[in-house]
Amino acid sequence: MSEDPKLGALRKGFLEFLVLRIIGGSTVYAADILKKLATTDFATQEGTLYPLLSRLRREGLLDYQWQESEAGPPRKYYRLTAAGERQLREFHAYWARLNRTIDSIGS
Amino acid sequence: MRPVISVSLNGRAYQFEDDAHAALAIYLDSAERALAGNPDRGEILADLEQAIADKCARFLHPHKTVIVRSEIEQVVREMGPVDCGAANDTPRDSASSGAGTAAGEADGAAAAPKRLYQISDGALLSGVCKGIAVYLNVDVTLVRLLFVVAAVLTGGLAVLVYSVMMFIVPYANTPEEHPAARGLPFNVRVLVEQAKLKAAQLAEAAARAGRTKGSRGRL
Repeated sequence: MSEDPKLGALRKGFLEFLVLRIIGGSTVYAADILKKLATTDFATQEGTLYPLLSRLRREGLLDYQWQESEAGPPRKYYRLTAAGERQLREFHAYWARLNRTIDSIGS
Repeated sequence: MRPVISVSLNGRAYQFEDDAHAALAIYLDSAERALAGNPDRGEILADLEQAIADKCARFLHPHKTVIVRSEIEQVVREMGPVDCGAANDTPRDSASSGAGTAAGEADGAAAAPKRLYQISDGALLSGVCKGIAVYLNVDVTLVRLLFVVAAVLTGGLAVLVYSVMMFIVPYANTPEEHPAARGLPFNVRVLVEQAKLKAAQLAEAAARAGRTKGSRGRL
């Protein structure tokens, strides 16, 4: 818990990218996203994820469908829209460029 | 025997012990506040309710049908505070005045049911201390202790205050009045912090008074 707050701010910005990447080309249930993030530095709670998913949907980057589940009520399954896929590609390209910059700028 | 409150979480009925219900209400209320001005507020709240319901389900079995406080507290910890990434949400900045009034209205709406009651259930005398403890969400023993300390410090004035409250403060009788005794979450939290602070200050002052008395005694 004694983590540098600067790293925390950096991570917050990347969460959106990771969520888009986890959804990727498939359809994903919110609990799957949390499970995938849980074991990483990006461990996230529902209180953060749901507002983020809702904002990404409002921005047209993702969409959801209701699907029946064997146990319990129907669930939302998220998938990327065309705009979301484009955004993910841009993120990837930017990340690669950023990495190259960080690697090269010190030498 | 504890009162149980039934609530609908996203369309399914769940039963909570009264203090567990209060803890849930605090969380959902703070979520509502955090989402004030968010166009998808209703939908996000429904998502959160569903997630809470899913998490509660693991505590429920055919022979255990009621959620208790420690369980809902664990669920709320797992859910985490509702954070809509202020930096990314333009409505917050561009329409801050609108969001402000919305938050203000939410405060007003939530403030309405807040009431101080006497609670005879588990009371030593009349239930004034118990009512205050529930109102402030602190241990009843702490309130009683403070009353005794205050009675000593004020030379009996606190006893008079207690007697007056006995007659003035109404009793919580109906199931609706019990949760109402817990009142507005935000204020409760503030009041608890204030009460804790005051208790600490009082304890410190008492310790100081004890020390000076002690040292004087030795002189």
